[in-house]
Amino acid sequence: MSYENKMMQLKQMLGKKQEKKVEKPSFTKPDKPWYVDEWKKEGLEVIENDFGMLFKRQVEYPQDYMHGSYQLKMFFEAIEKWQTSAIEHPFSIDYDETVVFFDTETTGLKGVGTNIFLLGFLEVLENKFLLTQYVLADPSHEAAFLFESKLWQRSKTIITYNGKSFDWPQLETRWTLNQQILPKLKNMRQIDLLHSTKRIWKNNLERMKLTQVEETKLGFKRNGDIPGFLAPIIYTDAVKSGNASSLMKVLTHNEWDLLSLITLYIHSTNLLLESHSQDTATTYTNIGKWYGDLKITEQSETVLRTVTNTFHDQDVGLAHFYLAVQQKKQKEYDEATKSFQKALMTIGNKEKLKALEHLAIIYEHQYKDYSKAFDYTLKGIEMIQNNDSKARKLLDWTKRLNRLKNKMEREINN
Amino acid sequence: MLNKKRTIDELLKEWMHDEELKQNILHWQTLEGQEAKFAPFPENLHPSIQKALKVRGISQLYTHQREAFDFATNNQSFTAVTPTASGKSLCYHLPVLQKILEDPSSRAIYLFPTKALAQDQKADLNDLIELMGEEVLSYTYDGDTAPGIRQKIRKAGHIIMTNPDMLHSGILPHHTKWVSLFENLKYIVIDELHTYKGVFGSHVAHVIRRLKRICEFYGSNPIFICTSATIKNPKELAESLTNTKHELIANSGAPVGKKTFLFYNPPIVHPTFGVRRSSILEVRDLATRLYEAGIQSIVFAKSRVRVEMLVTYLKSLTKKKIQDESIRGYRGGYLPTERRAIEKGLRNGDIQIVVSTNALELGVDIGQLQACIMTGYPGNIASAWQQAGRAGRRQDSALIIYVANSTALDQYVVNNPNYLLGSSPEEALINPENILILMDHLKCAAFELPFATTDSYGEFEIQQLLEFLEEEGVVIKTSSQWYWMSERFPAHEISLRSASQENVVIIDQSIPAGTKVIGEMDTYSAMTLLHEEAIYLHQGTQFQVEKLDWEEKKAYVREVDVDYFTDANLAVELKVLNEDKRVDYESASVSYGDISLLAIPTIFKKIRFQTHENIGSGKIHIPPLEMHTNATWMSFELPENWSEEMLTDALTGAAYAIGSFIPLFIQCDRNDLSVVPQVKAVHNDKPTLFIYDSYPGGIGLSERVYDILQPILEQTIEHVKQCPCNSGCPSCIGAQDSLNESKGKVLKVLSILLREMM
Repeated sequence: MSYENKMMQLKQMLGKKQEKKVEKPSFTKPDKPWYVDEWKKEGLEVIENDFGMLFKRQVEYPQDYMHGSYQLKMFFEAIEKWQTSAIEHPFSIDYDETVVFFDTETTGLKGVGTNIFLLGFLEVLENKFLLTQYVLADPSHEAAFLFESKLWQRSKTIITYNGKSFDWPQLETRWTLNQQILPKLKNMRQIDLLHSTKRIWKNNLERMKLTQVEETKLGFKRNGDIPGFLAPIIYTDAVKSGNASSLMKVLTHNEWDLLSLITLYIHSTNLLLESHSQDTATTYTNIGKWYGDLKITEQSETVLRTVTNTFHDQDVGLAHFYLAVQQKKQKEYDEATKSFQKALMTIGNKEKLKALEHLAIIYEHQYKDYSKAFDYTLKGIEMIQNNDSKARKLLDWTKRLNRLKNKMEREINN
Repeated sequence: MLNKKRTIDELLKEWMHDEELKQNILHWQTLEGQEAKFAPFPENLHPSIQKALKVRGISQLYTHQREAFDFATNNQSFTAVTPTASGKSLCYHLPVLQKILEDPSSRAIYLFPTKALAQDQKADLNDLIELMGEEVLSYTYDGDTAPGIRQKIRKAGHIIMTNPDMLHSGILPHHTKWVSLFENLKYIVIDELHTYKGVFGSHVAHVIRRLKRICEFYGSNPIFICTSATIKNPKELAESLTNTKHELIANSGAPVGKKTFLFYNPPIVHPTFGVRRSSILEVRDLATRLYEAGIQSIVFAKSRVRVEMLVTYLKSLTKKKIQDESIRGYRGGYLPTERRAIEKGLRNGDIQIVVSTNALELGVDIGQLQACIMTGYPGNIASAWQQAGRAGRRQDSALIIYVANSTALDQYVVNNPNYLLGSSPEEALINPENILILMDHLKCAAFELPFATTDSYGEFEIQQLLEFLEEEGVVIKTSSQWYWMSERFPAHEISLRSASQENVVIIDQSIPAGTKVIGEMDTYSAMTLLHEEAIYLHQGTQFQVEKLDWEEKKAYVREVDVDYFTDANLAVELKVLNEDKRVDYESASVSYGDISLLAIPTIFKKIRFQTHENIGSGKIHIPPLEMHTNATWMSFELPENWSEEMLTDALTGAAYAIGSFIPLFIQCDRNDLSVVPQVKAVHNDKPTLFIYDSYPGGIGLSERVYDILQPILEQTIEHVKQCPCNSGCPSCIGAQDSLNESKGKVLKVLSILLREMM
C-alpha cells in the first residue's frame, strides 16, 4: 500500500472517531440477580448469552391438542382453505410463510419507562406447536432478553391480538433503547386478530376482550386465570421478593392468550370462507360488508346472499342493504331497487335514510320516474324532520324535492 | 368633544398647555431614538438565506444578529438580550437554517413558553423558508397537532416548535419515537428566556436537564440559543436554566424610535389620609383622550379584575355604535379562538384600544401600537420596559404613560423616574434545587432512562434520592443500575405551570340548555376570585358565581348586571418546621428555613363601581389550602409599654411596607412572596414578620431576601419617612382606619431591626 493511501485510510478513521466523540464504553455483562435459583425452582430454564441472562420456558403441543372447540392442527386446514379459495384477503396465509403467534406482558401501558418482561411465541412447526416464553431476568438484562428472541434474525409472519398498536411499538421502543448493542429488528408481516374480531363481531360482541371472544366463540373458559392488569405488579414483586410463583401464573395467562390466538385464527377463517352458517346473521352481514370494503365483490355478494336466503326476514335487512349498494354500483338497478326496498323494512334509521336516498336517485336518474322519486324524497324528509339535529341534510332533501317538482311540471307541460 | 385624529407629537403639544392634566404629571421625559448599528452578512451565509433576506429588504444584519451567528458558528451557547421589535428571531433562525442547509440531517428544537407564541413564530419562519426556496420542514408540536401528521414530524421535521409542557409530557417520555431528532439535535432555542422564572422556571430547568440527558444517550451535544427581554441576570439565568456556560450578547443594534414617558400621579382627594383618586378612573380618562385622538393604544392593568373593570368603563365610549369592537380586553382565561381574533384585530387596526394583563407582554405578534398606558407599576423594571416596548412604530414617536397606584412601590417609582429609566432591572430567580420539584423530575428522568449507580443528574448527586425512590417503590436497583419499575406515568402527574396542579373550570349556565365553558383559573386564585357569590368579569360581562364545586373544580356562573365587584381576603397560619440559618442580634433575630402554612379564605366584600365604597360582605366556604414552603423571618422583643393592639398595627404596617419594596430587588410578582406578621409566633411567642415563598417547596426568593434584608429595610424606612402623609397612607404603610401614630410605630419597629443588624 502506498504511503498516501495509508494516510488516507488513517484520516478516515480519525474522522469517524471525531464524529462519535465519546466512545461508548464497551458493553459489560450485568451481574446475575440473586434470585436465579428461586426462579429456576418454579420451572424456568436459565439461558446465558453475550449480553447477560434470561429465563425461558418451553412447552410442546402435539397436533391433536384440543384448546376449546378446536384441535390445533386445524390451523393447517385453515391455511389450506385460504389457498384453495384463492381470495386475496389480508388475513390469508401462504404455505411457505413462517408463522408465529406473539404476545407480550409489560410493566405499564406506555412510554419509555414501560418494560416488556415477557415475550411469548407460539411457533407453528411441521408436526407440532412450540410455545417459547422468554422472561426478563431484571431490567439490566434486557439486551440478553431481546437478543434471544431472534427477532433480528429473519422475517416471519407475526400474528397478534392488538399487536399493531401495542406490542410491536413497545418492542420497537425497547429495541431502540438497546440499538447500540443489538442487531436491527427485522420488519415483519403482521396480522392483528383484534382487527378481524372487530370487523366480524361488530354489534354482536359487547367487548372485544380476548377472554370474552374465547368464552362466546371459541369454547374455552379459563380456570384460575389472573387478570392481565395485575401482571405489572406481579412481575415487580417477583423481582423484589425473588419469589416467582405468581409470575408463573402470568406465564400461564400468556400461554392461554397464545393458544386462543391459534383457535381464533381457525375460527375466523372458517367464518370467512365456509358457507354453512355457524354464527348469527349480524356476523355474516359484517363479513359480507368487510369483503365489500376490501373490494372482493363476488365473495361479498355470495356471503350476503347466503344471509338473505338462510336467516329470518327480520335479521337480514342490513344484508339486503349492503347487497343493494353493490348492485347499484354495478348498475344492476332492478336488483338494487328490490334489495333496497326489502332492506327498508328492518334497517336502522341511518341506513334507512341512505336507502331512501339511493332509491330516489335510481328513480330520478335511471327510471326517470319522478313521482316515485318524489315519494322516496318525501319519506326521507319526514325521517329527517323527526330527527331535529339533521337540519343541514333537510336542506339537501328539500332541494331535491323542489327540483323534482320542476321536472314533473315540465313533463306534464310537454 | 374634540374628535379629531392627531399624531402623538400633536397630542403632546396640546397636553403641554392643558393645566388640569399638567398638575398631575410629575415628570415628562423624552428618550431620543437611536440609529441602527449594522454588520455585513457573514461570508459563508448560505445564498438561499441571503436571497430570502433580500426579498424582505434586509441587506445587512444588526450587530447583535451578526454576533449571534458568529457565536453559534463557533459552537458556543449564548444568550441575546433583545428589546421588543429588534429582529430577535433572526438571532436563532439564521444559524439554525444555515446548519440545516449545510447538513440536512440536522435538527433543532424551538421552545416557546406558550402554544400561541409557537404558532406565531411558525408563520414567520415558514414565510422565510418559502422565500429561501429550500426544503426545510418546520412544525409546531403541541396538544393541537393532528395525530395523522405526528409521525411525519417525528421522523422528518427539521425544526420542532413546541412548549416546555409538551416537551415534558409528550416528547421526552417517548424519546424512542424521536430518534432522528435526538441523534441529530444541533440547536435548542429558548425564546423569551426571562419568562422562565419562579416555579415554572425551576420546573423547566429540570425539563432541560432531562432533555440533555437524553441527547447524551443518543450522542448529540446541542448548542443553546436563548433570547431574553432586559433583566439584570440574563446570563446567570440562562446558565442556571440550561446548566451550560453561556456567552452574553447585551447590546442590540436595532434602531429605537423616540419615546416620551409621562409619570402621572392621580390627585390627592383626601389629604389627611393621603387617599388619591383611583388610578383606574384616571386611566379611563387618559385612555378616553387617546381614543378620541384616534391613537391606537394598549392599556396594561395588573389583574384580571382590573382589566375587566377598565373594559367595562371604556366600552361606554362605543355604546352608541352598533357592533363596535374597537375596544377589547385581553387576558389569560379567554379561549384561544377569542385571543386569536383580538390579536388579528390589533394588527389590522380594527381594534383601537386593547386592555390587557401582562399576557401581552410576551412576544405575541400584534404589530406595534402608538401609545401604552400602565395602570400601576407592573412590579419590575423588566416588565415595565416590555410593556413600554409595545408602543413605538418605526419612525413615529411613542407615548408611554405610567399612572401610579397609591401603593408604596408605585409612589416610589412615580417620584423617582430615574429608578425606571436609569437603573438596571431586577434579577430573575429560579431554584432547581427545590427538592419537591427535583424529586418530581428525577422520577421522570428515571422513567426515561435508567440511572447507573455512578451517575449524577445535571449538577446534582442523586444516589441517595434514588434510594428514597426505591423505598417509595417506583424504582428498583440491579447490580449497576436504577430502573423505573411502576405502572405510573410520572410526567402526567406533574404540571410545570403551578404548584397547585388543577385548574377550576368556569361554566356559564345563563342559558340552561346551552351551558358552556368560558374560561379556567388556577386553584389558588380561584379561592379569592371564584368563591360563591363572587362577581366574575369576562370580556366586560359580569357573571355571578352561583355554585363552586371545589371537589370537581367547577364554578357555575350566570350572567348578571350589578353595580359592584367583589374583593376577597385570605387568612394565613404559619408554623416553623426547620431553621436552616439564623443570626442573633441584641434583642432580635433573623432566620431562614422551612415553614408550613395554612391559607384560609375568610370573607369577601362587595365594592361599588365608580365610588369604590363597601356595600356588603359575606363568608367564603372553601376548605383551607395547606402548603410547605421556605421563609425568612425576623423576631424581636415587644418594645416597652406597648400594648398588643399597638403592636398589631405596627407589624401590619411594617409588613405592608416591606412587602411593597421587595420587588425592587428581586424580579418576582408581588404575589410570589408574602409578608405576614404574627404578634406571637407559634414557635417562639415573639412578635415576628414572616416573608415566605408563595409556592410549595419555595423557589429561592425568601432565601435571597435573607441575604439582602438590610438594604430592603433601609429602602423601606427611607420611603416611609419621606412619604408626605401625616400618619400613614396606602403609599407607605397601608391605609389607616384612625388617626393613631401607626407611622411612627412602624418606623420604630423597622429601626429596631435595622439598628441591630448594622
